[in-house]
Amino acid sequence: MADIAVGTPLAAPLPRQRTLLVGTVFGTAASLMYFAALFGVYLRERADALSGGGEWIPSGANMQLAQPTVAAWTMLMSVVTMQWAVYAIARDDRPHAIMATALTTLFGLSVIVTTSFQYTEMGLVADESIAAVLIYAISGSHLAMIAIGLSFLLLMAFRALAGQYSSRQTDGFVAASIYWYAVVFVYVVIWTAIFVLK
Amino acid sequence: MTLTETRPEAEAVAAGDESRPATQSSAPQWTPPTGLARILSTGDHLTIGRMYVAFSLLLSGLALTLGMLIGIEQADIDGGFGVFTNANELFQVFGLYRTTLILCGLVPLFLGLATAVVPGQLSAPSVAFPRAAAAAFWTWLVGAIAHIAATFSYGGLGSVEAEAARGQSVELTVLSLGMIGLGLLVGSGVVFTTLVTQRPAGMDLLQMPAFSWSMLVATGVWLFSLPVLLGNLVISWVDMRGADALGFGGGDAPFEMVAWAFDAPQVYAWTIPLLGIVAEVFTAAHRSSPKLFEPMAFIVGAFGFLSFGAWAQSFFDSADPSAADAHIVTNEVLFTAFALAIALMVLAYGGWLAFNAVSAGQRPQITPQFALVVVSGALLTAAAAAGVLRVAEPALGVLREADDDIWRGFFDAMDDLEGSSLVTGMMNFAVLGGLLAAVAGLFHWAPRLLGRPLHAPLGFLSVLALAGGAFLIGATDALSGFFDQPAQPYQTARLVDIDALGFVEALNVIGLIGYIAVLGGLALVALNAARSLATQSEAGPDQGGEA
Repeated sequence: MADIAVGTPLAAPLPRQRTLLVGTVFGTAASLMYFAALFGVYLRERADALSGGGEWIPSGANMQLAQPTVAAWTMLMSVVTMQWAVYAIARDDRPHAIMATALTTLFGLSVIVTTSFQYTEMGLVADESIAAVLIYAISGSHLAMIAIGLSFLLLMAFRALAGQYSSRQTDGFVAASIYWYAVVFVYVVIWTAIFVLK
Repeated sequence: MTLTETRPEAEAVAAGDESRPATQSSAPQWTPPTGLARILSTGDHLTIGRMYVAFSLLLSGLALTLGMLIGIEQADIDGGFGVFTNANELFQVFGLYRTTLILCGLVPLFLGLATAVVPGQLSAPSVAFPRAAAAAFWTWLVGAIAHIAATFSYGGLGSVEAEAARGQSVELTVLSLGMIGLGLLVGSGVVFTTLVTQRPAGMDLLQMPAFSWSMLVATGVWLFSLPVLLGNLVISWVDMRGADALGFGGGDAPFEMVAWAFDAPQVYAWTIPLLGIVAEVFTAAHRSSPKLFEPMAFIVGAFGFLSFGAWAQSFFDSADPSAADAHIVTNEVLFTAFALAIALMVLAYGGWLAFNAVSAGQRPQITPQFALVVVSGALLTAAAAAGVLRVAEPALGVLREADDDIWRGFFDAMDDLEGSSLVTGMMNFAVLGGLLAAVAGLFHWAPRLLGRPLHAPLGFLSVLALAGGAFLIGATDALSGFFDQPAQPYQTARLVDIDALGFVEALNVIGLIGYIAVLGGLALVALNAARSLATQSEAGPDQGGEA
């Protein structure tokens, strides 16, 4: 007869606390709807300008693709580190969860820096064209979205440092990751609609 | 403990729970705040709900006062400006009437009722994020006050002159409207999350009470609408930051950016909770529970889906003439289809109410809230009918082609209704219907909200004023539309098109009486609530607060 391993009985799983997840999904959906409205106006104005034979981006503007592409790749890399954080906390690997969150934060900050640098380079004046107004409205709103996502991430990281999250309760990290994926998704749309299509 | 929870100590104190072990004497004891500090820092859903109700009723009164001022101006159309000094002032107050009535009055009133009532309906101790609910309330309130102050500082949403110089107060108006939208969005999120996550085990979504279901649908639709409104405002604001506004921040563009929120079909979206309140009060008056709940839930859901109107804004239309024609046709088809479908849903809902009345097998108990829900249902039906009339011209265009002689008189009446004050009548019917339903909810849930029922005879008096006034406002606006009174009274160039000027002015005077009556009705409701609270204070401490 095989020995039966006797040890500390497993703790009963905690009931699922879905409140934060549902609230975050609501907030994420609202954010996506907000950008859908901005892109709706942007694409409509762009189509009108181009169908009339005019130019959309003012000729004096220097809309390089290099910085947005670097930023897009940085955002995509942050998806990996964000998922790494969720994976780690689900396995009670708190040090790696913190490290992955720190890396994600670093990626987010570097996108803010890259976008700010691009603002100084592209020579787009807000009161000279409708395109400039809409580009600043969209990219500025995305910077705010990154800031909110980073605050959410840091809050979860501090809580993890205090020992709050574990394999039995991962909702905080999962919620933060949902919002962060939306941040990345919006940037990919910005990259395509504004910088690639021009 | 998350930041979004209420302090356990506060919960214990609020619940009168003295069984918890006392904290060690060496640790600093946290004492709950009292007085104004308690109100400012509260996370209690009932207190937040009460504050929402009180301030939104106050701001509804302000909005109706603005409507009254516009009514005085319209009582003498051809006599130049009287109350206002120019068309620009009239335009700004016209915009403020809409933003205040809907975003500072109706929507927060529903949110307040939901914040106070929904947890009880779900047997939940509180809303999902009590502190977020408080933050939403204060954001909304500060935004509303700033919005009104900025508009009265000559900073209304745009101006009738495209090149008019603007002050900083226009930017403040736009930003404060953004604050209002943000507050309402967060409040909606709190209610939505509460409905999804705080239900007891075994209660699925279709087992919730009708009001909770309608709030689930409403907050879902608001989730998709309010961010679009915020997006519009941000575009306007960024455009204003430049030396010259280009297309979104100058002239009447700031108002046009948000005008879709006060027109069909979106205007119906703000009234979705009306359907839930009517269902609850109506069946309670018949001393029965709602029968055939699932069909009713479907009707409310379909009504919510059809009322999403963020797509119906001119900034999604093409300025290219070749493409614009196609868009106009598409929009006419969509508007017609949506108006007819919404009217169909309202009729179906009326059928559901009739079925419940018949199956109850007894006469309803006539209470102020019952009278109010009957009137609010009638007002919503009138709004849907006005919405159908508005799209009648394109919808019946085929008949015009078929036999012009037979239909000529009818079509002459139908011509140009789009852009006439029929549109204002439709909005007023729908929004005032929602307002009356919310007041009915206040009567219905008064024992929970205020600690004791409201005074019934005073309630019937307020019903009389509210119902009569609301019908006068909506009907006179709608009828004037058939005589070409423009929806925007500041468009002075269109005033010469008005047929039967004297009759239209007489209608406007009757509408003015309607505003006075509704204001009087709201004052009576406030008096009734104050009386209830005062009587309760004399009787003893508030027992309805933290349950």
